[in-house]
Amino acid sequence: MRDLFDKCASWKEVQVVKLAGRYPYYRVIDETDGTEVVVDGKRLIMACSNNYLGLANDPRVREAAAEAARTWGASTCGSRLLNGTLRLHDELDRRLARFLGKEAAVVFPTGFQANVGAIDSLVLRHDLVIADRMVHASLVEGMNASLGRTRRFGHNDVEDLERILAAAEPEAGKLVVVDGVYSMEGDLANLPAIVALKNRYGARLMVDEAHGFGVLGAGGRGAAEHFGVAGEVDLVMATFSKSLGSIGGVIAGRADVVNWIKHKARPLVFSASMTPPMAAAALKALEIIEQEPERRERLWDISERVHRELRAMGFDTEPSVTPIVPIVLGDQVLAFDYWRRLTEAGIFASPVVKPAAEKELVRVVFMATHTDAQIDRALEIFERCGRELGVIPYRRPASRVEVRLARPGVSGFWSSRPEGAAAAGLAGGGSLELGELLGRRDEPLARRLADAAEVVTWRAVNAGPEELRELRELPVRLWRQRRRIAARLLSAGMERVARARAGEERRGEERRGDDRRGEEARP
Amino acid sequence: MIREASGAELAPGREVPAGGEVRVAQVATVRERDRFIRFQEEVYRGDPWFVPPLLMERHEFLDPARNPFFRHADVALFLATRREEVVGRIAAVEDRNFNAFHGGRTGYFGLYESVDDPAVAEALFGAARAWARRRGLASLIGPMNLSTNYEAGLLVEGFESSPAILMPYNPPWYARLFEGCGLAKAKDLLAFSRSSHDPVPERFVRVAEKIRNHQGIRVRSLDLRRFGEEVERIKAVYNSAWEKNWGFVPMTDAEFDKLARDLKPLVRPELCLVAEDQGEPVAFSLTVPDVNQALKRVGGRLTTWGIPVGLARLLYWQRRIDEVRLIALGVKEGYRRRGLDAVLILDTIRRTRDLGYRGGEVSWTLEDNDLVNRAIEAVGCRRTKRYRVYETALD
Ligand SMILES: Cc1ncc(COP(=O)(O)O)c(C=O)c1O
Repeated sequence: MRDLFDKCASWKEVQVVKLAGRYPYYRVIDETDGTEVVVDGKRLIMACSNNYLGLANDPRVREAAAEAARTWGASTCGSRLLNGTLRLHDELDRRLARFLGKEAAVVFPTGFQANVGAIDSLVLRHDLVIADRMVHASLVEGMNASLGRTRRFGHNDVEDLERILAAAEPEAGKLVVVDGVYSMEGDLANLPAIVALKNRYGARLMVDEAHGFGVLGAGGRGAAEHFGVAGEVDLVMATFSKSLGSIGGVIAGRADVVNWIKHKARPLVFSASMTPPMAAAALKALEIIEQEPERRERLWDISERVHRELRAMGFDTEPSVTPIVPIVLGDQVLAFDYWRRLTEAGIFASPVVKPAAEKELVRVVFMATHTDAQIDRALEIFERCGRELGVIPYRRPASRVEVRLARPGVSGFWSSRPEGAAAAGLAGGGSLELGELLGRRDEPLARRLADAAEVVTWRAVNAGPEELRELRELPVRLWRQRRRIAARLLSAGMERVARARAGEERRGEERRGDDRRGEEARP
Repeated sequence: MIREASGAELAPGREVPAGGEVRVAQVATVRERDRFIRFQEEVYRGDPWFVPPLLMERHEFLDPARNPFFRHADVALFLATRREEVVGRIAAVEDRNFNAFHGGRTGYFGLYESVDDPAVAEALFGAARAWARRRGLASLIGPMNLSTNYEAGLLVEGFESSPAILMPYNPPWYARLFEGCGLAKAKDLLAFSRSSHDPVPERFVRVAEKIRNHQGIRVRSLDLRRFGEEVERIKAVYNSAWEKNWGFVPMTDAEFDKLARDLKPLVRPELCLVAEDQGEPVAFSLTVPDVNQALKRVGGRLTTWGIPVGLARLLYWQRRIDEVRLIALGVKEGYRRRGLDAVLILDTIRRTRDLGYRGGEVSWTLEDNDLVNRAIEAVGCRRTKRYRVYETALD
């Protein structure tokens, strides 16, 4: 008989990494003021906190939390449904709804629970939830928990999304789920295109604004505000554990929908509510975000400088367009080695490996409260360690691609990769594809075939070495798809036959109906 | 994205309005880009002068993954519809290289087509303006399809013939629609043409030959076997030659290489001239057979019902092209105002005639570039077309 715990005893990976001195997780912090921490008696610059605006350490926020503990106690010891809704929670619900421009909002104990609760309660057996492949784990958990069908589309691949939407059962309620800002690599969702699609296919859209809240958009309302599509996002989710310097999560949307979630979301109903100090801290932080836009400005200034300098040194920070700066290394061992050197030299950063990111990287985030001197020091360390490890050249490269960040008012792109810098909306381009052309069910088959022939001819005429290779594979691909092509031709023909027969069928219907009644009568 | 619609916002699941409301939506998929491109055919149905571009070429041009222009520019395409039917289109562009080169915050509009209806034009420009304003742009100029390195300007005079290769063409009513939307003239561009039968004025020949001899300038044809190196040489002259001009924006290496690659099959080396001073290239002129003559016979498609009829026609008519267009002529800094352009023009005219072409177009020039315009007229060219670039401030 196997013991459930056997796998834990024989799990060696972490031990090996620990022995090699490259274990980056669960580090114990002994002291912190937000921008710097003490670990193992050593002072490190904190360069991977999500405390973007530094509000977790703001004296006003701390005082609000302490005051709430004195007034309301340490915990509510109850669910929001029952005895866990204090005046503080109610005020936070209403303030957030107003801030996000939605009819209503409900506050959860954590962002993770908010995501699970919203998806699980809304997506029922015959519904469909479609998420970007890179969405946060909490959204994936919500999908796993829900009874509905789940699909994932390629990261920001709106054509993939459209294929899924087009193929969905018309009767299924559809929810599209994306992160506004992708937390590891710092690129955005291509919201203009996604909004256009969800409107076209009558789907609902949920955006996780965890990392955009307080950072993106003129008012700090997130990626949707940044793209000017906030009104078209049906459900907004945000967490308080980033810019708001607290902990908790919120779902905002139409009043009837929020009401449903308040009664059906198990992570809300069956978990104690946010603690009073955390609710008070979030309220205070929200007030500060509304009153002090200069904090956001400072964050963008610092981030722009860090992106620029790192790129000038020869680092790759694609695809980020936000204060999340991925130092892309593309190799797991390299990422851990670089991380260790950074730690030894005085920086607290975090390595990120697949599948959390597309390529291995060290994730760096600075806060609005970091001083210029701290940034100078950190940049010097990044460069020195990078050179020592050989991930950047000793001489700075002669040219670089300048980064463009998604600062307020500068929109129209969602990634700093060339394809993401193109027209927002025309996602990464894409050429006329044979599959897509042939699949246009609303067009006559003859026209689709003619169009496909045009594409093939054009490619043949313009073929370079790469295209030639692809063209050589074309017969193989067509051969592989022969059943589908045949099936399509067949189904087009059958449709016509079916239509012709429709009248006959209807006449037959009555007769069959009589027969069935007869059967029922026979016991 | 249906936010810039002239009317109400599109709520999810809302019915299409019964009336004549114009909706503008940003192109989001390849499928919609296809509609954007194909709408052009409808506007010009029955127009004897229109030259339909190749459908596939347009797709490639508007594919951010394939066209290097998109590496330094953001482009939004908008489609106007009325009761589900496409009635207009426009592109809005932020070309970062243009703004880096000239300073300021200028955007372009371009690829404009619409039915003759002020409400449609109004809605399209509304969308382009809103898009540009959101990015903090201060003004729009255009039409640019999609910058001065491709096709620029709205045809306002000279509607009685087809456009030459890489020159725009449009219905006459666009000017009225544009002006109705508050656009004002920024600059006119001119096109000239010339028949090979007309002799070159004696005086011009004398002057040009004198310059050639005095300065020891040698004019040679492009060496197609060393295409790559030749492109590099021309690129160097090109980007130094135009610097101070209105509307000019340097081409990136990738853009230049793509243009060279696209033009290579058309090029006749005898018409692409490089002027050398002691073996160093100091000026060039680029004249190509006017492929539009062949393209016009093809109707935008290489195939008809799957059979490459268009391709065959294109190949057939390509050999029967009898006109050329002088696309570009550039002189390196330090060699200007020394008459090298006269030498290149003279040689181009002679070679064009010797190769059996009936004549050709010289285009385009800035209306206020008197020096160049006078020189062109001095060799017997007539002004045949006028294109207008409009501008509009964004508040
Ligand atoms: C994108 C995203 N969504 C949700 C969460 C969960 O938030 P919380 O920390 O409030 O549980 C996080 C934080 O890790 C996140 O990055």
